[in-house]
Formats: sequence, structure tokens, C-alpha cells
Amino acid sequence: MSETAWGTWARRVGMAPGAVYALVVLSLTFTLFTTQFLTLRNLTNVGMQGSVLIIVALGMTLIILSQGIDLSLGPVMGLAGVVLALAVKQQVGLPLAIVAAIVVGGCFGLLNGVLIARLGLPPFVVTLGTFGMAQGLALVLTQGSSIPGLGPAVQYFNDGRILGVQVPIIMTAVAFLVVYVILYYTKFGTYVFALGGNQEALALAGVRTRLYKTGVYVLGGGLAGVAALVMTARMNAAHPTVGVGLEFDAIASVILGGTSFERGKGWLGGTIFGALAVSVLRNGLNLIGLSTSWQVSMVGMVIILAIVVDSLRGI
Amino acid sequence: MAEGLVLQLEGISKQFPGVRALDDVSFDLRHGEVHMLVGENGAGKSTLMKVLAGAYGHDAGRIVINGQPADIRNPAQALALGVSVIYQEFNLVPYLSVAQNIFLGREPRHPKIPGLIDHTRMKAEAQALLESLGVDVDPQAMVHDLGVAQQQMVEVAKALSVNAQIVVMDEPTSALTTREIVQLFAAIRRLTTRGVGVIYISHRLEEVFEIGDRITVLRDGKWITTLNVQDATMDGVIQAMVGRAIDRLFPRDFMMEKGEVAVAVHNLHRHGVLQDITMTVRCGEIVGLAGLVGAGRTELARVIFGADPYDEGEVEIFGRTVRGSPTERVAIGVGLLPEDRKREGLALILPLRENVVVASLRRLFPSGIIRRAKEHAVVTDFVKSLDIATPSINRMTKFLSGGTQQKVVLAKWLCTQSRFLIFDEPTRGIDVGAKAEIHQLMNELVKHGAAILMISSELPEVLNMSDRIYVMHKGRITKELSREEANQETILRHAMGVTP
Repeated sequence: MSETAWGTWARRVGMAPGAVYALVVLSLTFTLFTTQFLTLRNLTNVGMQGSVLIIVALGMTLIILSQGIDLSLGPVMGLAGVVLALAVKQQVGLPLAIVAAIVVGGCFGLLNGVLIARLGLPPFVVTLGTFGMAQGLALVLTQGSSIPGLGPAVQYFNDGRILGVQVPIIMTAVAFLVVYVILYYTKFGTYVFALGGNQEALALAGVRTRLYKTGVYVLGGGLAGVAALVMTARMNAAHPTVGVGLEFDAIASVILGGTSFERGKGWLGGTIFGALAVSVLRNGLNLIGLSTSWQVSMVGMVIILAIVVDSLRGI
Repeated sequence: MAEGLVLQLEGISKQFPGVRALDDVSFDLRHGEVHMLVGENGAGKSTLMKVLAGAYGHDAGRIVINGQPADIRNPAQALALGVSVIYQEFNLVPYLSVAQNIFLGREPRHPKIPGLIDHTRMKAEAQALLESLGVDVDPQAMVHDLGVAQQQMVEVAKALSVNAQIVVMDEPTSALTTREIVQLFAAIRRLTTRGVGVIYISHRLEEVFEIGDRITVLRDGKWITTLNVQDATMDGVIQAMVGRAIDRLFPRDFMMEKGEVAVAVHNLHRHGVLQDITMTVRCGEIVGLAGLVGAGRTELARVIFGADPYDEGEVEIFGRTVRGSPTERVAIGVGLLPEDRKREGLALILPLRENVVVASLRRLFPSGIIRRAKEHAVVTDFVKSLDIATPSINRMTKFLSGGTQQKVVLAKWLCTQSRFLIFDEPTRGIDVGAKAEIHQLMNELVKHGAAILMISSELPEVLNMSDRIYVMHKGRITKELSREEANQETILRHAMGVTP
């Protein structure tokens, strides 16, 4: 990583988006009001639970940077988990099952991307449609019930450790690094910013904009497939509806992280902070004993609060 | 093949549904020359350049580059042949660096790691390019953080980075200040000494004579004439453009009796923007507001219109102290024709008809139900009285020319029965013929007792249109001049804050 990348990194943290402050404030609050929050065990837990969200939110960041949105990522992750579990049950071998999950995610991304980039359809509507498709398909494949008991090989992706660090956390870190390099050091990444900032300029530079735009959704879907592995391993089961709502948390993380819906403005690091803030919020509310329904509502409130504060600060 | 020609366009025709945009147009470009391309809006200049750039196809004719017939069907092919176009609307990506923008689509590959960009080389080459243009811009700065002039220079650098033999500039100076234009012209001269041919589209005829070698005039999609600049005269070029002789560019042959005070501003202060502004505009007069870009003229207009807040002072309009929003101003008869009419003055994707009545719906239809027949009658009246050139009142506004769009904005405010109108750069980007028409309309308005505050960066416009002139510098009014006192030197001196 070049020296300047660190320089801009520091500058960006200096004018940090709401996520950073939200993370600090929430962490302090939960430390004060609960005894369990600030324990290594709980913080590891936050990291483990946050890993699925972070992996999906990374893809969502690129999609939003390109001035798109993908509502289907939650259900697509659920469906990929179902496919993974079915493949494992069919004894095809875990590697092939993992590939199948990622391919399913990628295929939904491809479908989204083609409809959005080729046909010029609005991302919101297209991905709302594929949201329903993925959700329905997952229910059909499982007949509405979960697929439990996938065995130790799958569980390794939750329980396993490499050099003492939990596998999900390693996977998240690797995913971040890979997406980071893609975004800041490849043509593809440059064009993601350009798609959001000035698609016309990109087209006039002779770049095949539709190809790259499609690629953004494929990447997002593929990452949802990876997240499905972590999620399924954690539960040692695939639930058809487990992904619903994840797209909400992912979009929330991206927004909290300071990525804007306009003109390709944003940064990947912010999304990590955003996702951690959302995870800390959910974890802390759990510790306090608030129900999941309340948690969703609180995440919504924090988003609104964060963008209000940002707009007052003039960012 | 003619010696020294880098480009020949031969008999180019282009048909759009319902319009023959280009009709058998021929054009050529020598190495190292600046060839001016002029014509009214809709004359076909931009279309011709888009054909050359591969953004449009063409129905007939051929493109020859360096004596070789060139088959240009998309922007990538045009770039590969050394054709580089700087469009009027900047084609920069705001949240990428200067270097990334310059090399967009042609990022150098990392020497060792496949798939990655060589940021180091990209930065170094961008730096070298910018230096060769004599421009001081950090290649790693985000384009979003640059001023308009710097962005323009980035565009020029971008055009050069493809090893362009042919650079097309579409209205490059429309957003630049005088000093920045000097910088741009210096950069253009560096290009031509390297043998690059420059095609330069402009509405500002003074520029033709300052930077051009040859000039080609298009009108209604047809080639009219090509002249050496030393053989051309301003009047001759204008005549060729409009196809008729224009008596005077800025007609003004009457003075009105000054009526009641339309707007009075007392000691207005807006922190960091406006300081201690006191001014009046009376009915029956045009008051010019001169100054350099950034002097605070548009900001003042917006405060008067209620679009921006202020900290101290008082704004009085038609004898009433006003404090509130534009809604209140519109109700008492104020209209603002903004500088950026496409964004702030019009809803481009709506038909002309709706743009005219949009601010008057409450007045026209107090019941809240829009009656099409009445709307039709009202709008048709304005189309007639303002001589708005449109095939139909249902025409989508974005398809109208700049001058016609400005008339639509004017119709909107006449429809609200405005008596005090603020024109911010009323003729920017508007061709010569339409410009005269806008000026005529402004004169008609004051004749009928309206008050006009006119912001303009074109000194001839200020001098010829205004009854009185306020000159602004750094947020202050530095001088008030009568029509008789005013001349270019005095205005410029006060605009630059030089006190004698």
C-alpha cells in the first residue's frame, strides 16, 4: 500500500463519517450499562456475528458507489446457504458445495446486473424482484423448514481457528483485503467510482460500462455466497429465511460508513466501521434484553441520526 | 491528399428523426492550427464533433485522418485514432484523483502484479503532462476539490494523454474567468506548436480573433464558409452565422422615466459572502451588476430572491420589508432567471407548457384543478408574444435551444406577473441571434415599467444594456456608475479592487 493511501486514510478518518462516532458512543454506552459487553468473549462474539454482515456490506458498498442498490442480497445469501446445505447432504463434498453457494450468489448478481446494465432497468425494482425470487426459491427447496446437522467440516468455518484466530474473522479480513485491492488498485475498482460519479465520462473514454456495471452485481452476489458459508457454519444448519433483513443491515452499514448514494462518493473502510456499529448495537441490545424487533427499529434510528449529524456537520 | 491536413471530413450528413442535423458538411484541419467552428445553437457544430468522436454515427460522407479513411463507430475507435474531445459538460469523475481521471480507461498496468494499476507511473505521467501544460495541479488531488478552471486543465491534460493529433474543445471558456482563459490559451498554443490540430467551438466571437487561425461557419446543419481569420471581420462572421445582417448587437435607443423603487437593499451582510450591500433598483430601469466570477453577484441575487439567508440588513421589495422564502418574493412579483437555467430555471424533462405555468398554478387555478384549455391559452399567448421557437407547447424543454429555453424561463416569471426580474447571465451560452432577441425582450419589459437587475460577465452587455451599474469586488459594492460614466476600463478597475 502506498504512502499516500495511508495519508488519505488518515484524512478520511479525520473527517470520519457517523459510523466511527456511532461505534464509539455505542461501545461506551454498552460498557457502562452492562457488565458483559466489554469482555473478550463478547467482543469476539461481536466480531463473529459481524463477519456475515461485513462480507455482504463490502459488496453492497461497491454497488452503492456505482449508484446502484441491491435489495436481494439478504435472501440471496439465504438461498446460497440452502444450496450449500443441500449439496453437503447430497455428499458432493464440501469444496464443491461452497463453489455451488458462491455460484448461486454470483448468478443472481448476474441476473441483477444484466437487467440493470443491459436493459437499463432501475436497480431498486430489479432487485426487489430478485429478492422475491431468491426468497421463494429458498422456501421451495427446503419446503419451508431448515436443514440441520451439516457436520464438523462445515462447522469448521465457525469454530475453527487459524493461528488462534477464528476462521470467520480471518475470512472477513481476507474479503476486506481482496475487495480493497479490487476497489483501489484495479481498473474495475476505478470504474466503480466512475460509474457512480460520471458514467458518461466512462463511456466516452471507450470503456464498456455495462460490462463493469454487471460485474459489480456479480461481485456482490458472490460475496453473499461467501457470507452464506459463514452463516450456515455458525448455525450448523441452513434456514431459508435467515437472510431476510440482512440487506437492511448491509445498506445501513454502508450509509453509516459515509458512502453516499450520489456521484460515487465513499470509502470501503467506512463500511467496516458501519457494520461494526450495527453489530455492536444489536449485540448490546441483546445484552440489555431488547427483542429483535426493537433492534431493527434502533438500527433505523441510528441511521437517521448518523445522516442528520453528517448533514449538520456539512459532510 | 492535401499536404499538411490531419483531418478531412467530407460530405458528412446526419439525420435525426424529423431533423436533418448535418447536410453534406465538409471540414478540414491542418497540423498545428486552431480551427474555429462557429454557428448558432442548433447549427450542427456539436453534432459534427460527435460524429468525429464516434458518439454518433453518420449517414453519408467519410472521415479521413492523415490521408487514411477512418472508420469511426465508437468513442474507443476515435481515441485510438488520436481524436480527443473536451465536451462542454465536463467528463470528469468527482471522487477519483486527477491522475485517475486523466488516464480513465487507459490505466497503465502494474509491471509485476497482473491485474493491478501502476499508480506510481500514472501519477508520474500525469505530473509530466500537467507540467508540460504549465498547470499547477496536484495529480493526486480529488477532482471534486478542484475549481472549474483546474478541472478544465485536467480535461486538456486528459485529451493530450492519448497522444491526440486532433483535440476538439466545445465552449472551453464558458465557465472560466479572464485570467483562466489566458492560461487556457497558453496551453492551446503549446498544443499547436507540437503539431496538434485544435478544433475550437465558441460563442464568443472575440476568442475567434484571439486564438483562431481559420474559421468555419455552420448554419442549419450546412457548411456556410471557411475563412482565414485575418481575412474575417466580426460583422462578416455574425452575418454568416445568422444569415442576415444584425444592425446592432445590443440595441438600446430609449431611456425610461424612473418609477417607484422596486427593490431597496440596506446594509446587507451575509457572513463570508456579502458585506454591507446597499443598492436600489427602480421600475423602468435595468441595473447592471458587474464583477469578476466569485465577487458575490449571484450570491447577492439569491439573497434578494430569498433563496439564501442573510445575517444583517434589510431587503425591501415594492415597499415591503421581506424576510421569508422565495415563495413570498414570487407572490409580490419577483422573478429570478438563474445562470444555470438547465438546473435551476427549468424542469428539462417536462414540456414547455408546464414550465411556463409551474410557478403560477395557484393564481391561474385557484380551485386546485388544472384546466387544460386555460393552460393552453395562457401558454400559447406567451409563445406568441415572446416569439418562442417551438413546434408545440408540449415539446420537452430539453430539446429546445439555449435561447428558447431562456425565453421559457422568462415566460414563467411573466406568467407569475413579476415586475422585478433578476437576470443572472441572461445570454450565457446563447447564440448571437437569440441574444439580440433576449436583449430586445428585456428592453420591452422595462418599457412596460418592469425593474431589472442584470448580472453579466460580458462587459459589452453590461455597458449597452444598463441604465446604472454596480460593480462588486469580494462581496462588496465598490462602485456605482451611471450609464454615461461607465466604460470597460473603469468597470474592470473597480471589479479588480484597484482604487485609483
